[in-house]
Amino acid sequence: MNIEDYIESGQLELYALQQLSPAEAAEVERLAAQYPAIRAELTQVQQRLGLYAEAHAVTPPASMRERVLGGWQQAIRQQPVAVAPAPIAPVTPEPTPRPAQASEAVVRPLPAAEPEAGSGFRWLAIAASVALLLSLGANWLLYSRWQSSENQLVLAQAEQARFAATTQAVQKRLATRTEELGILRSEQFRTVVMTGTPQAPGARAKVMYNPATRAVYVDVNNLPAAPTGKQYQLWALDKGKPVDAGMLAQNTAAGDSLQRMKDIVSAQAFAVTLEDAGGHPTPTLAALTVMGQMTN
Amino acid sequence: MLPEPPPIAEEQLVARLRAQDEAAMTEFYDKYSAALYGVILRIVRKEEEAEDVLQEGMVKIWHSFQSYDPSKGRLFTWVLNVCRNLAIDKIRSRQYRVSSHSQPLDESPAERQPAATTFRPEHIGLQEITRQLNPEQKQIVDLLYFEGYTQSEVAEELNLPLGTVKTRARAAIKVLSKLIR
Repeated sequence: MNIEDYIESGQLELYALQQLSPAEAAEVERLAAQYPAIRAELTQVQQRLGLYAEAHAVTPPASMRERVLGGWQQAIRQQPVAVAPAPIAPVTPEPTPRPAQASEAVVRPLPAAEPEAGSGFRWLAIAASVALLLSLGANWLLYSRWQSSENQLVLAQAEQARFAATTQAVQKRLATRTEELGILRSEQFRTVVMTGTPQAPGARAKVMYNPATRAVYVDVNNLPAAPTGKQYQLWALDKGKPVDAGMLAQNTAAGDSLQRMKDIVSAQAFAVTLEDAGGHPTPTLAALTVMGQMTN
Repeated sequence: MLPEPPPIAEEQLVARLRAQDEAAMTEFYDKYSAALYGVILRIVRKEEEAEDVLQEGMVKIWHSFQSYDPSKGRLFTWVLNVCRNLAIDKIRSRQYRVSSHSQPLDESPAERQPAATTFRPEHIGLQEITRQLNPEQKQIVDLLYFEGYTQSEVAEELNLPLGTVKTRARAAIKVLSKLIR
């Protein structure tokens, strides 16, 4: 710190004129205690100001001496020191807030000055409390908004995951359908329409058979629901001899989609029988449900 | 350097006042009443009012004497500030300023009375100081010291930056030291 500059700043003069806030005044007192040069300058400033005050000196009328000393004596007797700060208060006529008042160097805070200092502090405390409340309010608002954003984010993420899963399922189904469509449109596939036997007159299903690749697909239009423990089985008839072409899955039997069956080397007709779950080596002719001949 | 006043007497007076010696207050009155009364009168501008403030100041000084710290300054500086604050409180509370703050200092009661010579042999008359200080400097010190203005009120009244008020106050108070030989 440059002591010279500080002295030149005029701060000590303002201090002596009681123009500083309590904090600024405390700073001046601290520096005066620390630096003898500042202490000396402050003393001079106070003396010069005292001199200026003295220049205004007016000798009071002689009669005033008795009155003032008598009045003073009466006042201090009426207001014993025991009740220290209280007696001072009535003497001070309605203290007005003056920033410099509480901040004097030489005059330390007087009891009567306390309401002012206290009021200053009280206002500061009120201001601080208000600021704190506003800050708490703002924090609460931000926190609740943050919380709500967090919730919305979680929801959005769940939504996105659900959507991704749906898309995946859709794509899988689309791939299946595309494949099925490819089979249906392929000229290599021969369609065999199987119609219901007297046991199941309304039953109807189709077989798509590619003799070149030996691929066999089954497409159910309508089959009676299989009783518990029973399952439909597809047979290829090659020169009158039944060959197992595989079991129909439950959703295939319900007509949901095409199902690829076992490869078949050669066939002229296809039939479906209702067998025990897991299938049977030979078809139970009594349980023949649908049957169809391949047309050339 | 300012010549220091005889410190022994002041120290004794401080010790007696601290001990709540009532007789010491009579001595206090004889020593300081002219200076204090002059300053109070300059602020409140009414003799009756000034007398009341001086008495109130003495009561306050008596009751709060324990808060006077000699290491921070002379007794005169302290009691002067006590009385000055009371006087300024008085004019503030009664809004004296509205009607009378524009009264020029030349009409100050001190001008009409012979300078008191009560406690300083090197006492300087107001006329001499008025000659040394330029009007701008004098105006600033008077507003700050006698009119109870804050520095920002002075800045507003004189239409000056705050910093200028500060430096001008310093310059003015510096001039006062030249008056002492």
